[in-house]
Amino acid sequence: MRKSKGLKKGTLPVYIILWIASILSIFPFYWMFVMATRPSAAYNSIPPTLLPGDQLVENFMKVLDTIPFFQAMWNTILLCTTVTLAVLLISSLAGFAFAKFEFPGKNFFFILILLTMVIPPQLGLIPQFYLVSQLGWLDTLLGAGVLFLLNPLGIFLMRQYISESVPDELMEAAKLDGCSNFRIFRSIVLPIIKPAFATLGIIVFTLVWGEFLWQFTVLRDPASYTLQVALASLNNAFRVDFGMLLSGVFWATVPLIIIFLIFNRWFISSITEGSIK
Amino acid sequence: MVKVKKNLFVVMMLVLSMFLYACSSGEEESASGEGKVTLDFWVFGATNYEDLAKEYEKENPNVKINIKNSELGDHHDSLFTSISAGTGAPDLTMIEVDQLDRYREAQDRFVNLYDLGADEIQDQYLDWKWQMAENGEGDFLFGLPTDIGPKAMYFHTEVFEEAGLPTDPDKVSEMISTPDQFADAATTVLEKTGKPMVDSMEMAFRANMDALEVSYFNRDGELLIGEADNGVKEAYDYAVELHDKGVVGSFEMWTPEWANALNQGGFAVEMAPAWLKGYMTENAPEGAGKWRVTTLPTDFAGNWGGSYVAIPSETKHSEEAYKFAKWMLSPENQLESFVESGLFPSAPEVYEMEEFVNNSDEYFGGQNTAAYFAEAAKEIPEVYKGPKYVTVNNEVLTALRNVQEGADPKEEWEAAVKRIEGLVSR
Amino acid sequence: MESVQKRQQASKVKKSTTQMSEKKKDMLSGYLYIAPFFIIFGIIGLYPAVFSIVLAFQDWNGLGEMDFVGLSNFVVVLQDPLFWKSLYNTVIIGLMGTAPQLVVGIILAYFLNMAVIRFTNFFRVTIFMPYITSMVAVALVFGVFFSSSETALANYVIGLFGMDPVSWKTSEWGAKIAISLMVFWRWVGYNTIIYLAGLQSIPKDLYEAATIDGAGKVQQFLHITIPMLKPFIILTVFMSTVGALQLFAEPAVFLGSSAFNRDEAMTVVMYLYRDAFNLGSFGTASATAVLLLIIIVGAAALNTWLTSGVGRKQKRRAFTK
Repeated sequence: MRKSKGLKKGTLPVYIILWIASILSIFPFYWMFVMATRPSAAYNSIPPTLLPGDQLVENFMKVLDTIPFFQAMWNTILLCTTVTLAVLLISSLAGFAFAKFEFPGKNFFFILILLTMVIPPQLGLIPQFYLVSQLGWLDTLLGAGVLFLLNPLGIFLMRQYISESVPDELMEAAKLDGCSNFRIFRSIVLPIIKPAFATLGIIVFTLVWGEFLWQFTVLRDPASYTLQVALASLNNAFRVDFGMLLSGVFWATVPLIIIFLIFNRWFISSITEGSIK
Repeated sequence: MVKVKKNLFVVMMLVLSMFLYACSSGEEESASGEGKVTLDFWVFGATNYEDLAKEYEKENPNVKINIKNSELGDHHDSLFTSISAGTGAPDLTMIEVDQLDRYREAQDRFVNLYDLGADEIQDQYLDWKWQMAENGEGDFLFGLPTDIGPKAMYFHTEVFEEAGLPTDPDKVSEMISTPDQFADAATTVLEKTGKPMVDSMEMAFRANMDALEVSYFNRDGELLIGEADNGVKEAYDYAVELHDKGVVGSFEMWTPEWANALNQGGFAVEMAPAWLKGYMTENAPEGAGKWRVTTLPTDFAGNWGGSYVAIPSETKHSEEAYKFAKWMLSPENQLESFVESGLFPSAPEVYEMEEFVNNSDEYFGGQNTAAYFAEAAKEIPEVYKGPKYVTVNNEVLTALRNVQEGADPKEEWEAAVKRIEGLVSR
Repeated sequence: MESVQKRQQASKVKKSTTQMSEKKKDMLSGYLYIAPFFIIFGIIGLYPAVFSIVLAFQDWNGLGEMDFVGLSNFVVVLQDPLFWKSLYNTVIIGLMGTAPQLVVGIILAYFLNMAVIRFTNFFRVTIFMPYITSMVAVALVFGVFFSSSETALANYVIGLFGMDPVSWKTSEWGAKIAISLMVFWRWVGYNTIIYLAGLQSIPKDLYEAATIDGAGKVQQFLHITIPMLKPFIILTVFMSTVGALQLFAEPAVFLGSSAFNRDEAMTVVMYLYRDAFNLGSFGTASATAVLLLIIIVGAAALNTWLTSGVGRKQKRRAFTK
């Protein structure tokens, strides 16, 4: 890529659109940060206050006093990491199968997977809870995470990515060399689909990070709380402290952004290397 | 080739073992400590029960109490899921009074506290509060009483002053002792200050609603709302009457606008229980010293909120759970809960206790507000609400909100009744 | 266990692999690799699905005994004007909230994928931010911006255009527009990222070849990008259809305590949730879920079919190139 000093000709409208999209996207988040630095009453001031105040630390200390924030963060990181790794493994294996192998019922199974998305999750709450508690998984990260292992989107993304970016010739060559399918998966497919891993990984990680209803239902022991469950106890109708609440919500999002930034970079580097053809 | 497979196998085992690790960390607890009993206790709202549990653990080293505190709605949803699934319920749980009735037909999912000797402590508590936790026959007790919500009148002294009304609590209650006098005072406030008397239609409706012994349902679950002598319609009409006079504000409870109005005296009166104090001190700091509490007109005397502690029958430790509940809700500890968290005691002997009698509330200019609530507490009737109370009541509230936005009161009422009949037939 | 099987397989076949056994090996691998999903689905997904369908024919309040009532739950639901109102709301909010998302998502992804654009890293992060922000935060923020007060941000903005303040939570169109905006805001970055992943799976030499052939940017976009992106477009259309018809969290948290007793923005899933958890009527709730399932399958099939009709020819051309 050539580096030029000014903008390339004709790209100005593109920049303007991207800037507008960016500002609209982060404004509510920025406002949240502002609230996290101000006393509770600032929430009431309309139109919204736009400059940060001086209570950043104070509000966060209140959060730490009220909930086991770091314990919950550790639980959340553990949960999200495990679920994400498992989803990546399950999805890439299945995606590989759907993309590169012929087997009877392939289309049927694929449609079946997409159909599992159709069941409204709210109604399954009671039977799912019943199952998880019968399996002895209440208060465990396994119980909190198992629902998220079913990720049809992941399988779709992987199938698509693998079928477009893993050349059949390469696979055939490897087979002639006596590689097993598994070895092909391990040493040819996995390296190629890294960018797809970054995308899917971020989506899954974020999904699990932000989910509340199921985690709240399954995790009842404060020691097993994840961030969203812990944060919910800050939001108590009889004792609303918006400064504290938004401070909690804000700091619970920061690690996610950091993780996103890390993987985003990795994602970009693998593209610019031009490793995919 | 084998080596490669091993690598992947290692990764998979790693993923699996992380799960298993996470899994075992939860189960450790129940296995650890021979003879040690762990009680899971679910609470909601602002309570001091966590502190009390710690105190109890100190006195009873063989008991460990795990408290899960959540928001009212989440708490009851989660409880319902567990009770319905028949698994995963805690050893003890708070149940809010409006939610209690939905569990009546699931009596077998709870421990009958009479079997554990609850009749011995019955005298400690207010009769109406106690009876509401019994089944129809009176031989089954769902829970022990925690706090209650006797209502009193909070008024903003500056608004009253501006309207030329008295600001001494006793004089206020003397002047406003009937619904009509309340409506007159409201008109005065509006004329002199331009401010509404009450915050919202819900508050205006609740004035009479919370005082009803019978509202939507009788104990057989029959819907009474269509009947001529049903009190709900009267409560509705009174709210509409106040609205027609223009004395009802549009500050929905718990919204930021409402908190703001509390803070700055945007309306004159709040008809609410003691637990509102906690909310006011936290969210309306500028109102300090400006609000006072007095007795409501007797027609409006009622209860709003309050809870019970129940023991789901799944528990393996009903005896220990009961022992703790009994201790936690003893008059002495109820006094502590009142002082710490504003939970109004359901044990009348607390009302005579030194600390309670000499209570003075800085936020209310040093007034002894507790006395007014205690007085109200004794006059409350036993109330039956019915399993679908909350949803049915919400339909009437919707009608009232629509009236406030200009809809015809009669049509709205009829539409609400129709919706309610539809809901109940489900 | 897997590796053992494979090793046995491998040793059996050895070097003198025939065409037939190679196929069998692939078949076996295929089943083996999709097995984890179905095993987990069998453990945790199947039972609730079957349970819900069975419940649709029962009368059950979540606590007592179940009674078989045949089709009467369906009759009750289909005769309830509120069910139809909620379906109407769902479709309207779905159209307003998700359809523009897909168009904007493709455009943003295309811009982000342009080699000449700098700071893409920054834009990518910011545009994805709404998806990262938790539901609690979104609800709080939008609740304040779209409060019915005259000085609220949303009312201030429309005031600049000379419009009267709107009560965003209680008016027929106010609530729908506010929720659609929230849905749009929250998910547009997500779709952008999926499209971006799609764009990156397009081999670069296609563009190089097109440039040599003298095709302009717009032509390339229409004849290479869109057709190559089609599987991803179909996916997002499918997911958005399903997601829109299952809309629940956004309106529920935005409307707060009044969510379940007002009808301006009640969606079908809110309707069934209210039936189950507020009214204790799991039978009608499950019947609604079954109806919704049929609607979703129908709508998703229709949308997918419509989308795959678009640009079918171009795609074949692109592939055969």
